[in-house]
Amino acid sequence: MSGARRPGPMRLGPQPGEEIDRKRPFTFRWNGDSVPAFDGDTIASALAASGLRVFSRSYKYHRPRGLLTANFHDPGCFFQVGDEPNVRGAHRLAEPAMDVRAQNTWPSLGFDVKAVNQLAGRFLGPGFYYKTFIKPQRLWPLYERVLQRFVHAGQVSPDTPRTAVDKRFAHPDVLVAGGGPAGMATAVAAAQAGARVMLVEEEYRLGGHLRWGGEADLAALAELRDQVAATPGIEVLTNAVVAGRYDGNWTAVVRRDLPGGAEQLIKARAKVLVVAPGLIERPYVFAGNDVPGVMLSTAVRRLIRLHAVKPGERAVVLTANADGDAAVADLVQAGVDVARVLDARAGQGIVRVRGHGVGQHWGVRAVEAADGTTTECDLLVTATGWTAPAALLSMAGDRPAYDPRAARFFPRHLPDDVLATGGIAGDGSHEELIAHAGAVGREAARRAARIRRERQAAVPTRAQANGAERSGDDAGPTAIPELPVDAHPELFRASTHGIVDFCEDVSSKDIFSAVREGYDSIELAKRYTTATMGPTQGKIELVNAIAAAAEATGQSIGETGTTTWRPPYAPVTLGALAGRPLEPVRYSPMQPWHEAHHARPLIAGAWIRPDHYGDPAAEVRNVRSKVGIIDVTPIGKLDLRGPDVPRLLNLVYVNKWSKLGLGRVRYGVMCAEDGVVFDDGVTGRLGPEHYLMSTTSSGAAAVWEWLENVLQTMHPDWAVHVTPVTTAYASMNVAGPASRDLLLRVTEGVDLANETFGYMEVRTGRIAGVDGCVLWRIGFTGELSYELHVPAGYGLHVWETLMDRGADLGVAPFGVEAQRILRLEKGHLIVGQDTDGLTRGFSAGLDWAIKLDKDDFLGKPELAWQHDAAPGMQLVGLQPEDGSVVPPEASQIVDGPRIAGRITSSRMSPTLGRSICLGQVSASLAAPGTLVTVRLPGGRLIGARVTEHLAHVDPEGSRMRV
Amino acid sequence: MSEPVSRSPIAPAPPVRVEAGWEVSGGRSEAALTITDCTPLAKVHLRAPWNGAMAKALGVPFGRASREGGGAYSASQDGPEGVWLVVGSGPGEWLVLAPPGVAAAVTDWLATVAADAAGDEFVSMTDLTHGRALVRVTGPDAADLLARLCGADLHDDMAPDGAALRSAVAGVATDIVRDDQAAVPSYLLHCERSSGQYLFGALVSAGESFGIGVDGFRLPGI
Repeated sequence: MSGARRPGPMRLGPQPGEEIDRKRPFTFRWNGDSVPAFDGDTIASALAASGLRVFSRSYKYHRPRGLLTANFHDPGCFFQVGDEPNVRGAHRLAEPAMDVRAQNTWPSLGFDVKAVNQLAGRFLGPGFYYKTFIKPQRLWPLYERVLQRFVHAGQVSPDTPRTAVDKRFAHPDVLVAGGGPAGMATAVAAAQAGARVMLVEEEYRLGGHLRWGGEADLAALAELRDQVAATPGIEVLTNAVVAGRYDGNWTAVVRRDLPGGAEQLIKARAKVLVVAPGLIERPYVFAGNDVPGVMLSTAVRRLIRLHAVKPGERAVVLTANADGDAAVADLVQAGVDVARVLDARAGQGIVRVRGHGVGQHWGVRAVEAADGTTTECDLLVTATGWTAPAALLSMAGDRPAYDPRAARFFPRHLPDDVLATGGIAGDGSHEELIAHAGAVGREAARRAARIRRERQAAVPTRAQANGAERSGDDAGPTAIPELPVDAHPELFRASTHGIVDFCEDVSSKDIFSAVREGYDSIELAKRYTTATMGPTQGKIELVNAIAAAAEATGQSIGETGTTTWRPPYAPVTLGALAGRPLEPVRYSPMQPWHEAHHARPLIAGAWIRPDHYGDPAAEVRNVRSKVGIIDVTPIGKLDLRGPDVPRLLNLVYVNKWSKLGLGRVRYGVMCAEDGVVFDDGVTGRLGPEHYLMSTTSSGAAAVWEWLENVLQTMHPDWAVHVTPVTTAYASMNVAGPASRDLLLRVTEGVDLANETFGYMEVRTGRIAGVDGCVLWRIGFTGELSYELHVPAGYGLHVWETLMDRGADLGVAPFGVEAQRILRLEKGHLIVGQDTDGLTRGFSAGLDWAIKLDKDDFLGKPELAWQHDAAPGMQLVGLQPEDGSVVPPEASQIVDGPRIAGRITSSRMSPTLGRSICLGQVSASLAAPGTLVTVRLPGGRLIGARVTEHLAHVDPEGSRMRV
Repeated sequence: MSEPVSRSPIAPAPPVRVEAGWEVSGGRSEAALTITDCTPLAKVHLRAPWNGAMAKALGVPFGRASREGGGAYSASQDGPEGVWLVVGSGPGEWLVLAPPGVAAAVTDWLATVAADAAGDEFVSMTDLTHGRALVRVTGPDAADLLARLCGADLHDDMAPDGAALRSAVAGVATDIVRDDQAAVPSYLLHCERSSGQYLFGALVSAGESFGIGVDGFRLPGI
């Protein structure tokens, strides 16, 4: 195929209403050959104009396939375009220099070795994978490789750069799905009634079937388009599809008009959804119905009228309706020799199509009619009926009803916020359909206005006396005229078997076979044969599949029913669903300093924290000998105010809080109502009715919720206000023997002497010139240490000042890893690390903290029970006998064949020069000095001895009380 | 020891200068859609009974924001240091936004009002100046930009000028206050501080297709 710039041999002269621009010709490549096209051509129309008949090979049997519907749903037009697979070639517009290739063929479209599958047809029947390729089992890897080779459907390169497309939220009053005449009339009427309308059309232009109609249709089209353009309040989205309708009219709209095949997902919460999808023409089932050259009447009319393409030279037409009749007229006008017209309304029919040719020249040769005659031709056009695309209505809860008189399904029961109009609702003249659509539009606007008023009354964001009130006073339901329903012959299958699902290569014979095997409901037959499970998702094959199943079972179509439509209605790229990755990240005010000093980042939930600065062991040694500073900003902090704060603390903590003095700090543990350790931290009293609570970093949100739950549901009478201030403060822990010396250089208004500011006390003062700082004398590391909470905006300033002023003291930063080692050396547990979802208070070494003599606290009943019951698991300190072995955390502790515990924390201690651990063990093994057995991953067993204290370093705590 | 300078969680675009003790961007944008880091604003959080005397005194109900208020005490008339915006953030919860550096004065004034008008009620104030990142998005396309990242209905009939709501923007819990500037749609958005850089970045990225420009902070800022 060459001749780059000549119009193709099947290109017609100008057609009224054509959508190609003959002043803008270009070429693109098809399997390496140059193909001429005009702006406005689809890939398939340009190929058809060039004389191409075979566009693809079918999925399973690799049968040559031509154009069938010549629109988005055409099953014979899936192409690879550049790096984009599965492009709908009968919908996608051709572009200059496009590189289009056939898919699923090898080595070429014309000569496809995979067509050998047809010879293996009896082994590839419905459900073949349940019956074949099972034994011998050792050949499975081979089966997989072979089947993968034959199932290939396009390629995506992982190296192609992708751009994320933001999703969009929308709140239309009325969303109209379908931009044909009914959809346009609905949108105009709704907007004129004051509604905010979103009109969504799958094709590139509004108009539906009017686009390829006659003179009167084109005039009506122009009028409707002008009305849409002139009516304010209508957002028009073409080349877009309503992909799903969910509860509350949450609707997924997918825009396809972005460059490079990208799509955008619009999440539209519509007050009212109007479904106006028109009707989809249905193929006829007969032998040879997938031979290239068999087309639907709407396909030939689109090719001729929209793209000026002659669909063939000599045609036979099987018609059962006015659209088929109109196709005959169009064919004649296009110069096609219409050799025979078979009128199904008069009882005429066809039996089979015979093809001829080889490879990409395979196509229709002749049509055998039901009266026994044979007509030679290269084109068979069928117009045998319509399918209502009821997917969105089904998603709204409707189960459509079959009308045998009209030979199609109709909506039955729709919720109050969903309406239907156009062909899916009935038939009638253009004027009748427009009148119906207009009434539906006005009714949709009325219902939307009512919903809007209800929502406006419910939200507090509108001032009492202002806020634009839009029209739509409820004057009662709009009268919607009934649409007539035209009779149509029930035509599904000729006397021969043919393809039902063109995408999946499922024939009517396959469906009969499935029913014979016991899959005798449409849902079972669907899944067994895969009919309707391909890319077209039932749009052109569902009713034929139902009819075949009905014929096989002897039931009526109505009795057989339909399958269930589920979103998405049309294929959606994963890129559209993903949109822009939204992965919130949280940073401390000191993050720029950490980055500048090469901290290795640790991802801790949404936080980025410094894990270490190159040598965690050195950081530990520096804290033990000099002074270190760690950024602990993520620690949860809650500001508590009110006279009833002590009552709240007593309720949520296991220990006593009534007598916490001003300037004092206490460690507290929270247990849930099942006694399981929930969180821990310190709370300090800053003022008579002002406290600051700290929580674990990961528990900050959960503890806030916990406290609010108590205050809002259990004790709404308590006067307590809880305000999260986790990130209002930049928090840093200054730890080590020289920490006081360092703080003396930068602190004003606080006497740091041990006698006046002792361990577990809190002060407020000025640090590095910053007022409003909170200083806790607490420690997680076991050294003299101060936790500073600085108004966050000054965090970096204070940090830099400390680093600067402490240089001669040997100040150095330490990260989370060093802190974990330091706290493990001190035996401090980490909730969630040394405890789990079953660890109750008395199993966590917290006996000293739990005050069962308190009146009440959360978890008390369970803890009291645990206290009186036989001891369960215990948290203990452990030291492996071989101090060079560091058991991985979660290593099992075994007692013979029995699992008796696990290692919860484990590190090499720089201070002791040996490995140290915490672990949960059975009570029988918890006595100090007990030798337990640890099973390492890989099975090796080592011994570890239970220590007397949880702390491995300074168990008396003398270093932090200096 | 150097003079303390306060920093927003949002890195300022150059040129960088110091305004009212805060490191801010001195940049200017003439774009139709702009985003400004307003984190330096004073922010005082007030809690009081949602239907009590303090609420009545302020006169700003839940879901609305006002410079004038509607109660017996008007922040703009009676409060010190210039124009303030009182936001009804939640039932029984208000946030007062004021120029940088006046949080203490705002707190004192609120305490005076509370003592005068609501002596028996449990009222508390917390300075959240450093606890919230705050940006302003202004321009005719401001709502369309927010529609890329936020599912709330921001049409005029649901969220007119003066509306205050709490939603999720780019996956972060964010308070949104519509505060039009000279009849141009404008939204204040604030979230907990540590997510500020992320939120700002998400708004700028989503705003690229609208030609968003980053504008510097200028006093009084509210």
